[in-house]
Amino acid sequence: MKSKTQWLILSLVVIMAFALAACGGATDGAAADCVNDCLDRALAGEFSGEVVTMTGPFVDVDAIKFNDSIASFEEQTGIDIQYEGSQEFESAISIRVDAGDPPNIVDFPQPGLMANFASTGDIVDVTTFLPDSALGNYNDSWNQMATVPGPDGDIQAGVFHRFNGKSIVWYPIDDFEAAGYAIPETWDELIALSDQILADGDAPWCVGIGSGAATGWVATDWMEEIMLRTTSLENYDAWVAGDLAFSSPEVTNAAEVLSSVWSEDYVFGGAAAIVTTEFGDAPTPMFEDPPRCWLHKQGNFITSFFPESAVAGEDYGFFYLPGIDDAYGKPFLVAGDIMSLMKDSNAARAVMHYFTQGEAVKEWLAAGGALSPHLDAELSWYGNDVERGVAEIVAASTSFRFDGSDLMPGEVGAGSFWEEMTNYFSGATDLTSALENIDASWPR
Amino acid sequence: MNATGQSRWANFFINGSLLFLVALWTIPTLGLLVSSVRTRFDIATSGWWAILPHQEWVLVDEIEIDDDLDRDGVMNIAGVTGTFEELREGIETEDGMQVLWIGNRRTGRVEVQEQQWVMRTDLTLDNYSNVLTGKEYQITQPDGTVITEQGDDMTAAFLNSLTVTIPATVIPILIAAFAAYGFAWMRFPGRKILFTVVVALLVVPLQIALVPILSDYRVLGLNGTFLAIWLAHTGFGLPLATYLLYSYVKGLPRDILESAFIDGASHFTIFLRLILPLSIPALASFAIFQFLWVWNDYLVALVFIGAAPDVQVLTMRLAEIVGSRGADWHLLTAGAFVTMVLPMVVFFSLQRFFVRGLLAGSVKG
Repeated sequence: MKSKTQWLILSLVVIMAFALAACGGATDGAAADCVNDCLDRALAGEFSGEVVTMTGPFVDVDAIKFNDSIASFEEQTGIDIQYEGSQEFESAISIRVDAGDPPNIVDFPQPGLMANFASTGDIVDVTTFLPDSALGNYNDSWNQMATVPGPDGDIQAGVFHRFNGKSIVWYPIDDFEAAGYAIPETWDELIALSDQILADGDAPWCVGIGSGAATGWVATDWMEEIMLRTTSLENYDAWVAGDLAFSSPEVTNAAEVLSSVWSEDYVFGGAAAIVTTEFGDAPTPMFEDPPRCWLHKQGNFITSFFPESAVAGEDYGFFYLPGIDDAYGKPFLVAGDIMSLMKDSNAARAVMHYFTQGEAVKEWLAAGGALSPHLDAELSWYGNDVERGVAEIVAASTSFRFDGSDLMPGEVGAGSFWEEMTNYFSGATDLTSALENIDASWPR
Repeated sequence: MNATGQSRWANFFINGSLLFLVALWTIPTLGLLVSSVRTRFDIATSGWWAILPHQEWVLVDEIEIDDDLDRDGVMNIAGVTGTFEELREGIETEDGMQVLWIGNRRTGRVEVQEQQWVMRTDLTLDNYSNVLTGKEYQITQPDGTVITEQGDDMTAAFLNSLTVTIPATVIPILIAAFAAYGFAWMRFPGRKILFTVVVALLVVPLQIALVPILSDYRVLGLNGTFLAIWLAHTGFGLPLATYLLYSYVKGLPRDILESAFIDGASHFTIFLRLILPLSIPALASFAIFQFLWVWNDYLVALVFIGAAPDVQVLTMRLAEIVGSRGADWHLLTAGAFVTMVLPMVVFFSLQRFFVRGLLAGSVKG
């Protein structure tokens, strides 16, 4: 009996020893001390041979485009940027940060996720090491959108690297012209066009909000577009911040406008098809001969889902989703990727500085699939007319706002907002209770 | 007579339901296989069963519509009369043809169609070549030239998966076999408590261990190495392995071991000469479990070795194939069949142990 107890104590001691060994962590890396001059020192070759690790959500062809665009920087500075993309980026980065092993720089596709890490002090404020000239290369709105609460007051938690334009409507140019339709300049003309297409026997809109576990995000984009067009920017910001409830008259009105567009008659396949159609498949009927639906609102990335044979400018073109109320001008909805510094080093700071320059996305713009937020990026850099055209629309818009659901807390922006809009359009709930459910899920 | 009639019916019923179940389980796989050799557009516009012979309306004649035809009224086209709405639905003629208005009122055309038996046999191996040899990307450079870059093929990922899977299968089996013998046949204090602890670990989900292990690895400098993931899989697999092998080893006839003891064999000799050969069914069946689990694992590999192209495993490569926004979803079916090959080989070569192994420990002597 006595020996049994001894064994127990011994094994407990061993376990405790392991646990203690695990807790005593080492601190890593050399201190980062360069301020304002990191990029210059890197270009002088001072950080040659250092490795900067990066993670992000983009993979496959996008990772190739990224590696192409940083190649010249790596050559000039000798810094090795090791990018590692993964489809499960959100969970992977959370685990790595919790374990105290973040990469140097993280590409956040959603400022909401970045804000979580900023609030726990895991992100370095870029204003502490970037010169004003670097931040001055952005329209001020971009810097504001990257500014979030840190543990001790607001910090700018990153710099924008590239973005997608959302407020555009795709249409089949050749068939459009053959049918004699005109591009609508106002919301009333858009609705009149929809009625015309309907009267001619087709459904005007191609809509699909299916996207696996993220089903519903297309609906949230539409809601944001309509919010920007039916109420003030202040109300939009308040809504995104959680100060304007979903059940408020403004948001309810936006949902009603959306319901009037996503009606049984207007949508290809009927209202039932909205939820069951994958967002990537939604525009496919537009490319059948003849088209079976004629209008599709989606960000510029959707072109990668178009049939390979479709030619920009012939088979498809785009126009700006018109404003609804003149009082709110021509707003534009964007989403984009922010680079945040999580593990500090001089070389990583230099890379961050580099990302504030249009040069850092030049190759990507030429290859297509991204827009540049940098003021020094030139329209001639874009490799195709579609993205150049979108960039022109963005430049001509009176205001722009970031995709609201990406800014809202994850429980709402990547949760209840998607789900309740899906429930509403699938007919599982009515509008009032859907909006109230979203309000109830907001973490207070 | 009566009895054989009954048993014949019973047999018929059993075989019938088995056949039904087999079909139920196999048909989706067959659908996947067919989809893996179809183009993306075909998959999106028709089901895989369209490759089977079926009746379809096929165009036999196309009719230009007069511009001065009153498209809002009743029209007379190709021998049928109807409004635009009726023509859009299709009007059947007396000789079995169908007159159908395609497209909208303004720009549409009219087709005369006939029902024919057709098969969609335009199959392609492009999906497989994309998966196996890597996709080709056309990248436009800033100076306007277009260069073609070849994406990663599956070879590296396949080798990485093997590098991860084989040690991650062998190590836990070795340790668990020793442990099972110890728990089953050696007398030492705390044996029951220790065994209970091991079994209790069966219900601990591995997800809760990810963060602590990762921070330990950071201290030890193991992050991103293959050793890290071997150890992780060993740890996660050990409770089940120990329990499974314990039940089996415990059930071996006591007489054999006792005579060996009397003849003066040491524990190690007994383990090596008696226990290991006798427990091959259990070892093999656990090897299948562990191999399949590690081969199909995504999360543990993502956390401990990451997704960098030089170390990523097959499951990660497969997930990446669809692209950042899933535009290349049509490659998934081909990718799935490619990754399936090795587990199938492992399963079929070890399957004769599998059923015996499943019974391991279920009946204790």
